[in-house]
Amino acid sequence: MTTRESGRVKEAEKRRVLDDAARKRRARKAIEALERDNFHEDPHADLVMSKKVPKFADSNEKPTRKKKSKSSDYYKMRFRKTFAQLVEEDAGFRPDPPNYMSVQAPPSNFPDRHFCAVCGFPSKYTCIPCGARYCSVKCLGTHLDTRCLKWTA
Amino acid sequence: MSKTSCYIVDNGAYTAKLGISTMEPKVVPNCIMKAKSERRRPFIGSQIDECRDASGLFYILPFQKGFLINWDTQKTVWDYMFSKECCPVNFNETPLIITEPLFNFASIQEAMTEIFFEEYDCQTLLRINATDLADYHYRKMHNNNCTVVVDSGYSYTYIVPYINGKKYREGILRIDVGGKVLTNHLKEVISYRQLNVMDETYVINQVKEDSCFVSQDFMADMEIAQKRGSANTIMKDYVLPDYTTLRRGYLRDIVKKEEDLDQQTLRMNNERFSIPELLFRPSDIGIPQMGIPEGIMHSINSCPEEHMENLLQNIVLYGGNTLFPGFRDRTYNDVRSLALDHYDVNVSLPDNPITYAWEGGKHILTDPDFYSFCMTKEEYEEEGKAVAFEKFDI
Ligand SMILES: [Zn+2]
Ligand SMILES: [Zn+2]
Repeated sequence: MTTRESGRVKEAEKRRVLDDAARKRRARKAIEALERDNFHEDPHADLVMSKKVPKFADSNEKPTRKKKSKSSDYYKMRFRKTFAQLVEEDAGFRPDPPNYMSVQAPPSNFPDRHFCAVCGFPSKYTCIPCGARYCSVKCLGTHLDTRCLKWTA
Repeated sequence: MSKTSCYIVDNGAYTAKLGISTMEPKVVPNCIMKAKSERRRPFIGSQIDECRDASGLFYILPFQKGFLINWDTQKTVWDYMFSKECCPVNFNETPLIITEPLFNFASIQEAMTEIFFEEYDCQTLLRINATDLADYHYRKMHNNNCTVVVDSGYSYTYIVPYINGKKYREGILRIDVGGKVLTNHLKEVISYRQLNVMDETYVINQVKEDSCFVSQDFMADMEIAQKRGSANTIMKDYVLPDYTTLRRGYLRDIVKKEEDLDQQTLRMNNERFSIPELLFRPSDIGIPQMGIPEGIMHSINSCPEEHMENLLQNIVLYGGNTLFPGFRDRTYNDVRSLALDHYDVNVSLPDNPITYAWEGGKHILTDPDFYSFCMTKEEYEEEGKAVAFEKFDI
């Protein structure tokens, strides 16, 4: 990477500033990412799994059950509702508070604290283009080189 | 038809605590995991202990955002849990106590009732919130009337006030920070600062468990963590497992370069306490909510005033996050500073905060009214599913 070229890129970036909506979108995406179960692909995705892994129902010593156990696929079909659907449905089931939505903790009365987006220590400064916090020139440099406007939500 | 034992399942979003009430409970991962190293089969529940190389584990969880969503996964894991391989039971003979999340959605409640009566042939069923069992457990031990139950689990942290054994719904508070957010945030931070570990939820969860603590003075610890050399008493290295000589990593002191032991390590500094800090200050990562101590005060202030004193004196903590060293002391100190001086504050952390609700199930079985809390298969068949909504106070 030549200095002249990266210098020019930096000049261009300096003039770009994320608007408030973009900043909020970015913040929301970061919080949503904390809900994810996996960040990589199913390592067995390319395998064809035998349909019935493990056969517990068959191996139970005493078949006291009259009927055959229903497969897990049956339950997938029988009760398939997404989280969003369930929340929506709840407005009918529990229309008045307290309910799932209403018991969410309210905002804190303590002032927000700010930490450097790079090193995690308390920060005094705000990055002008993107609004991220930083603590020092060194961390600002890292931030500009790695994040800042490198990816846009 | 009184029974001397029952089967108790505290069906958590990350681990289920289960077993016959007369025995010690088992703690079983409530999920299916797939390994890169073993392509022949997935690992269900505790089978993961047989996995030689746990790097890059892929999780399939029945729960999403604290609610049972993926029923096929849950059915597979339950079949495993109730089988000889794990903790066998015949629900035809043994009553079942099973926990559900607070404000569980109607269709999930209906599915729970249906699956246990129809699929597992349950004869006697008690569906209940884990916090109810925890309150019951606590009152048995303390003979108190009012309790504040704090359940800090995988998906959320719930604060639930109880007045004379009944949850006071208007005072319930949910903080959207639990063990999952902490692990994912730690993963994010380490991946940005040091080494890409985004695929290593299982390992980084262990790093969190082995390295993190709750700070008693956050800003003072931040200063210590910025010091150099031996003055920095917080900085440590975490030796990562390599699955040949080391199955689980551990935290060790920083060694000098020349003594380096050719181990792959993660440098743990302010991460050690700024991760659990999110339970106390969710706004540190932009979640606009109160933390636990402030939430406890908010919850108590929503209750009738005459119970305030009693509630402050009986705060009980349980759930995986309460295992962080310093969790109880920090909670106590913060609540103490927020409460009026003339009130006593008492915060207790049970010996085993993971199985505390499960143990509560053992106590509730001995309640003379136990069977009046339950629903029988006859009732279900005669009166139908709708009765379950009236019967169980979920
Ligand atoms: Zn910094
Ligand atoms: Zn920036």
